[in-house]
Amino acid sequence: MKKITPFANEADSVGLGDLTIENRTDQVSVYGSLDLTRDKQGLKNARALKGLLDKVVRVLEADKKLPDKLPPPKAPSRVKNPFQ
Amino acid sequence: MTVLLGRFSLAVVLTLAPAFASAAETACPQHFVGRAAPDLANAKLAPQTRELCYSEFALLHSGVTRTPLWSAEHLTRAQIDTARALDREGTFHPDPNLPRRERTELTDYARSGFDRGHVAPSGDMPNRQAQQESFSLANIIPQNPDNNRDLWSDIEAAVRTLARREGEVYVVTGPIFQGEDLQQLNERVLVPTHVFKAIYVPRRQQAGAYVAPNAPGDTWKAVSIAELEQLTGIDVFPALSSEIKTTAMALPDPDPPRRKPRARRQVEEMPLRERMPAE
Repeated sequence: MKKITPFANEADSVGLGDLTIENRTDQVSVYGSLDLTRDKQGLKNARALKGLLDKVVRVLEADKKLPDKLPPPKAPSRVKNPFQ
Repeated sequence: MTVLLGRFSLAVVLTLAPAFASAAETACPQHFVGRAAPDLANAKLAPQTRELCYSEFALLHSGVTRTPLWSAEHLTRAQIDTARALDREGTFHPDPNLPRRERTELTDYARSGFDRGHVAPSGDMPNRQAQQESFSLANIIPQNPDNNRDLWSDIEAAVRTLARREGEVYVVTGPIFQGEDLQQLNERVLVPTHVFKAIYVPRRQQAGAYVAPNAPGDTWKAVSIAELEQLTGIDVFPALSSEIKTTAMALPDPDPPRRKPRARRQVEEMPLRERMPAE
């Protein structure tokens, strides 16, 4: 799995089994499903997932100004439908 | 038309012939049914549109919405088998082939609460180059996270399974913009109200489209290609006969076998407003 630096950019996207991991500056999204099978592939995947989560924890722990909760996303504006 | 072989070739050639005159010009006809790119029946969609040709898909980008209006692919069994063996890996990026004033930047999506939803799915791409091309923001819409990660992901998977089973499928995917006004991200990117995925199965000579709200939930609707044109203002398969376009095929159910179904519902009624193409 390609290494990513959590929260560093809005660009990285990697897969781990059927999990998708997306790097954003305000969150790291992890979604989909993954079977950690009792074999060498399962061990490899477990290490990759643990490596990612360890990095997320390190970045969050190191943030001295970590808020209790992020403010909600910017509300989209409303515009007239140009195709009507 | 030498690419069309087999027992359906004569019928297909005959039904395709009249449509060529009106088909949109394209630099990469290999991605389209009968080598004909989708037609914009609603002329209001046309300003600031540019076709971008990539190795495994083509798209029409709109500088008005700063999204694609459609992305088109020709999926084959061999491509899907190769794609399934390839891990997801990509980097979202502004499209270098678009003028800055028309394209989205990564910052447009930052802290928006929306996923960057692929229109031509990364999961269809059989090699690193094609996969990276699919991460161009020209191939991305602001998509509700629940829709992107669940129902829509399963519709994409169902179409891949269909392509494997039937040997090949033509796919055109895109956003629908309905209603008097629309949401806009960062005062630049229009948020679709719905998403569609139209498919044509050459072996069956049948076509139809999935339509789902760009919102949380599990409901989707099957429509014919002709009905889809009323919703989008786009004729996604100009080369098909009107008989094929007006008959909605039975679409594969997107319920995956891998987990407990979430009571997915194909609905007969969905609050979609039809609109006649503008003259």
